[in-house]
Amino acid sequence: MRKDLAELFTSRAFWLLLLFVGLLTGQSFISAVDAYAEASGIGGGAAALAQGLSPLDGILVPTAGAYDLAIMLLFPFVAIRLIASEKSSGAWKLMLQWPVKMRDHLLSKFVALLVAWLIALVPFAIAIALWLSYGGHLDARETLNLLFGYTLRYVLTASVAVAAAALMPGAANAAVVVLGLTIGTWALDFLAAGRGGFVQKLASFTPAATVRMFERGLLRLDAVLILLLLSLLAFAIAGIALDPLRKRISVSIAILAVAIALATQVRTSFDVSENRRNSFPAADERVLASIREPLTITVFLAAEDPRMNDYENNVLLKLRRAMPRLHVRYPYSGQSALFENDDRYGEIHYRIGAKTAVNRSTTEEIVLETIDTLAGVERRPLPAAESSEYPGYPLAKHPAGAAWIFYLVWPVVVITAWRLRTRRTG
Amino acid sequence: MSDVLRVSRLSARRGGREILRDVAFTVREDEILGVIGPNGAGKTTLFECVAGVLPRTSGTIDGAPLFYVPDGIRPWPDQTVRWTLALNARMFATQVEPSLLDALDLTRLLDQITASLSKGEAKRLGIALGLLVPRAVIFLDEPFDGLDFRQTRHAIDVLRNAKRTLVLSIHQLSDAVRVCDRFLLLDNGRVAGEGTLEELGGNLEEFFLA
Repeated sequence: MRKDLAELFTSRAFWLLLLFVGLLTGQSFISAVDAYAEASGIGGGAAALAQGLSPLDGILVPTAGAYDLAIMLLFPFVAIRLIASEKSSGAWKLMLQWPVKMRDHLLSKFVALLVAWLIALVPFAIAIALWLSYGGHLDARETLNLLFGYTLRYVLTASVAVAAAALMPGAANAAVVVLGLTIGTWALDFLAAGRGGFVQKLASFTPAATVRMFERGLLRLDAVLILLLLSLLAFAIAGIALDPLRKRISVSIAILAVAIALATQVRTSFDVSENRRNSFPAADERVLASIREPLTITVFLAAEDPRMNDYENNVLLKLRRAMPRLHVRYPYSGQSALFENDDRYGEIHYRIGAKTAVNRSTTEEIVLETIDTLAGVERRPLPAAESSEYPGYPLAKHPAGAAWIFYLVWPVVVITAWRLRTRRTG
Repeated sequence: MSDVLRVSRLSARRGGREILRDVAFTVREDEILGVIGPNGAGKTTLFECVAGVLPRTSGTIDGAPLFYVPDGIRPWPDQTVRWTLALNARMFATQVEPSLLDALDLTRLLDQITASLSKGEAKRLGIALGLLVPRAVIFLDEPFDGLDFRQTRHAIDVLRNAKRTLVLSIHQLSDAVRVCDRFLLLDNGRVAGEGTLEELGGNLEEFFLA
């Protein structure tokens, strides 16, 4: 393990990554705090509705966006180097003869990559500390959930990079594979929007899609399991590729593939957002859970239609959590229906048993009323009463001192540490 | 001298091509066995298959544990020579003997990073990495490649004085004759002969040109 940590700290890619992560995080944080202050009325203008000012959306997610970029474009090179350098220098042939199991070799690399991630999170920790020092509010569960989501995404990306470096000859080929896979998941994410079925299910587990869930304060057990299992699968593939005497598909890979398939069926999720944005009011959820018959919804909207996006994120996401027996159909799946001459376009059909209802609303209240009527259940009080409990956290403060810390102190610290490290090994 | 390693009917393929075919030989205790052959004879493939860093299609390897140092390696290029030697020693729960470093003229290079070593210096580091490992048999692939005449003579003395069981892959016949006790002649992936210089007719050059 000491070897891989030493290799990490002598890697120029790692120090450059730290430098850029600090600058990117600083830029994201400063912009976010400024925008938040404006929305809170710092310039003397009218403040936005206080309830709409959530530090999760306004500060944490934009700041963490810097890590999104770093995970996709910078971290893979650090992970690839840990393997590719040993392969190309001949060190790996010596290591294969050490009395060390392949599992332990890979575990050591995993720990080194985890240490790299924890060190790279220092700028994010600084941003949080600054925000709190300005008097800003943070919800611990939301914050930890977001960090957990990004960590899972990082672990998957690093694992895929390790597998690519193990499989491919040369670091450049491995980098092309990792970036190609990233672009592939983007394409899948884009194509699957509002299409339903297997493709949409598959796309809901892309790294970008799962991080979006964490960004809105949702902890989905299936996504956690799948990201972890995929990471384990990538490491298993790396283990097979790096061991010259085990070139066949092993039992462990087959077991992992089955486990991944099973994990897609897990439906448990937790709404850890402070404003419960992923849930209907508790009274509504109890009523929805009491409906025994399956609900079928047919959405006559194209994927590109903004109403589809509203309906998917503000209604269906909550309904899927509240009603296990929900089936959603997308008749315009796989086609752009914006220019089709179909009278039903814009309609949303609901069916419970033999009863059906049709409307065009994508708002939560109307949808819930429609479902109540179809199911013949008692009307619930208006959800506005519960949703108004979230107070919102306006803060009209400039990001004092942040530019100095992120644009001057951080680069100086990183470059100094880098030079000290180089002097020790040089 | 008793046999410490026995290789039987070893065959290997790379890229769809048969590189080794039914190779068999033995390594005796405390001897230096030279594996001799022209470029492309399969020497490196043989070493890597025996060491287990390349798969073999068939064959058995019986005997004491071995350690193999590949040709042309520059392991962990951003670390120092001291770090690299200490790491390999730690993995085998042993220590780096200063006398070995002195003998290979590595003491003055201990704080250099391996990427900065010349070809000859890197080769001497490779020999040290092999000799510090407490395994019964050490395989060194082309240990003299990149060394000048004086360094080669010096390295030959180091290997002879090490009193270890060594298997060396050598393409320079003059070097092989100076350092080895016995020879395994490899040609086109097959064993063309095995024995002492006398047993092989006294002239290895003629053997290959024949």
